[in-house]
Amino acid sequence: MSTEPAARDHPAVQIDGVSKSFSGAVALEPVWLKIRRGEFLTLLGPSGCGKTTLLNLIAGFLEADRGELFINRDLVTQVPPHQREIGIVFQNYALFPHMNVAQNVAYGLRTRKVPKAEAEQRVREALALVKLEDFADRRPRQLSGGQQQRVALARALVIRPRVLLLDEPFSALDRNLRTAMQVELKEIQSRLGLTTVFVTHDQGEALSMSDRIAVMSRGRIRQIGSPTEIYDQPQNEFVSTFVGDANLFDARLVGVDGARASLTVGGTPVMLDTYQDALPAPGPVTLFVRPEHCTLAQAGAPGAIPASVALSVYQGSYAELHLDCPSAGGADRRVMLRVPSRQALPPGTAVAIALPASGPAIYAKQTTKATA
Amino acid sequence: MSKRPFLGWFAAPSVLIAFGIAASFLAIVQYSLRAHVPGSLEPGGFTLDNFTTLWKLVYGQAFVNTVMLCVWTALFTLLIGYPLAYAMIRAKSASLRSAILLISLTPLFLGEIVRTYSWMIVLGNRGFVNATLMQLGLIDRPISFMFTKMGVVIALVHFTLPIVVVMLAAALSHIDRNLERAATSLGAGRIRVFLTVTLPLSIPGIVAATSTAFAWTFSAFATPQMIGGGQVQTISTLVYQVGFASFNFPLAASLSLLGLLFTIAVLALFNTGIRKLERIGAH
Amino acid sequence: MRKTPLDHLLDWSGRILLAVILGFVLLPFCVVAIASFNDSAILNFPPKSWSLRWYANVFEYRDFAEGLVNSLKIAAFGAVIALIAGAGFAYVLNRYEFSLKGVLNGILMSPLVIPNFTIGLGLLILSAAASLPRSMWLVVTVHVIIVMPFVVRSVYVSLQNFERRYEQAAESLGAGPGHVLVTITLPLLTPGLISGGLFAAILSFNEFTASLFVVNQRTQTLPVAMYNYVREYADPTLAAVSVIYVLVVAAMLLIVHKFFRLEKVLNVD
Repeated sequence: MSTEPAARDHPAVQIDGVSKSFSGAVALEPVWLKIRRGEFLTLLGPSGCGKTTLLNLIAGFLEADRGELFINRDLVTQVPPHQREIGIVFQNYALFPHMNVAQNVAYGLRTRKVPKAEAEQRVREALALVKLEDFADRRPRQLSGGQQQRVALARALVIRPRVLLLDEPFSALDRNLRTAMQVELKEIQSRLGLTTVFVTHDQGEALSMSDRIAVMSRGRIRQIGSPTEIYDQPQNEFVSTFVGDANLFDARLVGVDGARASLTVGGTPVMLDTYQDALPAPGPVTLFVRPEHCTLAQAGAPGAIPASVALSVYQGSYAELHLDCPSAGGADRRVMLRVPSRQALPPGTAVAIALPASGPAIYAKQTTKATA
Repeated sequence: MSKRPFLGWFAAPSVLIAFGIAASFLAIVQYSLRAHVPGSLEPGGFTLDNFTTLWKLVYGQAFVNTVMLCVWTALFTLLIGYPLAYAMIRAKSASLRSAILLISLTPLFLGEIVRTYSWMIVLGNRGFVNATLMQLGLIDRPISFMFTKMGVVIALVHFTLPIVVVMLAAALSHIDRNLERAATSLGAGRIRVFLTVTLPLSIPGIVAATSTAFAWTFSAFATPQMIGGGQVQTISTLVYQVGFASFNFPLAASLSLLGLLFTIAVLALFNTGIRKLERIGAH
Repeated sequence: MRKTPLDHLLDWSGRILLAVILGFVLLPFCVVAIASFNDSAILNFPPKSWSLRWYANVFEYRDFAEGLVNSLKIAAFGAVIALIAGAGFAYVLNRYEFSLKGVLNGILMSPLVIPNFTIGLGLLILSAAASLPRSMWLVVTVHVIIVMPFVVRSVYVSLQNFERRYEQAAESLGAGPGHVLVTITLPLLTPGLISGGLFAAILSFNEFTASLFVVNQRTQTLPVAMYNYVREYADPTLAAVSVIYVLVVAAMLLIVHKFFRLEKVLNVD
């Protein structure tokens, strides 16, 4: 953790065209990525999307086929993991079972030959940081899952890593503990200003913790941006469906005028403002709309798409209305939207769906559905 | 960075040992092609005489004996090993399971000599079995176990039992109990469940266990030597006899070589059998 | 679930069958234990009078004591060498790809298939051809060759079950390959290594056939000494040796069991 002012100008991690295959199968297409100093960056994607491969490449557990990797401007492509000065917290924590908590935390200091007194001081501080001062003599198996995770975090932080890598660290915790640990981790991370790369398949975690999210599928980064950008302005079909819920409509793109697109949805003409960098050519398209951006309209209202209530699912403060809609995309021709529970409607009620004036994403209609 | 730390250092001792194994194998091949010079330990010139000698009746008989011992031993070991393995895997209490396992393994840890000597005391003319039977008045004269194939097979079954039980138990423990529960729910009784589900699913284990029992019996020496007492000649006892009684090491080497080739052929046969079975099981 | 009469019949016949088979397994050792206390030089069942004189005889017959010392030495050296070579090879086998890996593995595992008498004969011929003396080291070599496949197998299984994340965590904390090996891998594999070594020692202690080919009067192992005794004498001294022998092996087994449950070693858990 260098403190020279000039160090602030360059990225903490720079990935230049790094790629990786395993016995012919491509795990990671060439990737370019700059991770800013102090940034919390999440690699989000389904299993097999290449996020863990990328993490292992940054850590040095895998060697890149092509491309270069820099940490704080140092070229580390060929540097073995033990010289990269990165901290890592694994999914199952990988606490050394034959050492107690203090020995686990001190391990990285011993390898660095830090003087004994200083090492003890730093171990105490690290354990205080994760609120485990009283557990120094315990063995890992005597700790709860959350405590084990904190030890793993302390062990990674005590060496003052240049980058902290988190490999699905919350997936072994139960729901309540998970939320608490997320808050705690995020606090520690921003207090220390620690550059962090977080790997997860859980979009909720990604949206709540990250400064930026890189959504990955099939070995590629499909979109990178802030949680808001990813959620509100997905740039492709994969991001639209993987992050958050989406209603699909079969539509026809008639024309584009600047950022304004005119379409027909099942015969209903619709005008939309679009944020997308690129729109497909006029013709059959699929419209992606977040459920919370759809609203109910009177049947027959102008610009609204006719539908009928199939099912109403009570969810406490709100109800999910599942609507049969002839213009809906997807095999079941259903659209889902949420209404306050007192506005729930009985099945069979004829309704209409009003689309928002801006927001819906427009993608060329594909014959096969996009998958991971 | 060194991509493969320790590779050289860690592999070196084993490479040395592999050289030793390969060299001793080559020594056997080489001796099997050399002539025997009576009265000398040094072999003579190169010849194929050893292999023509092996066609002689006494050597052929040893082959037949060995194979018959292997077959009978494998058969009886399976017959008593299967119930043992089954009882062990299905025992409800962990201590019973451990007890069955430990008892089944004792022959393995008794050592060849102790085990064989014990059987000599059990099976001898004045041994435990005959003494007991005579005292009970069931027989007038002792039954001859010693120096017979039956006696050798009994002791060999005891010898191969542990490995057969372990292999069968491993196979049985990998059968999903829910398959048996499913069969029971469909109305099959216990015997039918066993015959139609458990037994067929354990066939690969049975074949593997049989092949191992075969190989173990084939290489057994002390048991046929001591209980057979020279009356039950096998390849192993013959190799020893040819080597140490007549010091004809070239002939002993060629006999060993033939035995080894035979073992490999039999095991290969079993292996193809196992693969076929696994392929059937996969579909 | 109600049990039918057939179920009861099956249960009881199963129990009786189990008892009979277990009796068959244990019978020889029980008989030999009884025989060892038989006073007369000729075996009788049941013994007419009891005595400990055969045990005294064991300690007077020098070959047994020398054989035991030889056997323990050979088992100790054999197990240590087999453990070092076998564990190293298992590590390499588990971690690396290299040319001739398959060939090396095939040769080292071949003693599982090659009969022991062939291994013994092969090394006897080899040492004669190379004019090497029939020393204790020749016997140790034979034992290493025979027990090594078992060591490789057991260490390899431990390595397969080994959590690589521990090593990666250590690496990320700055430990180089040697440091990772010494502080993480070896300590975590120790139980497996110890049990593998003791297992090798027991196998070596029990080995008879191959040893018979390569020992001489000076290097004979306990099993060979016992075999030679049976060929010359018929008295129950050997029964007494057998009892002592079994106690020694049982002690070694108990130690293995303490470190590593047998069920686990044998993969029937």
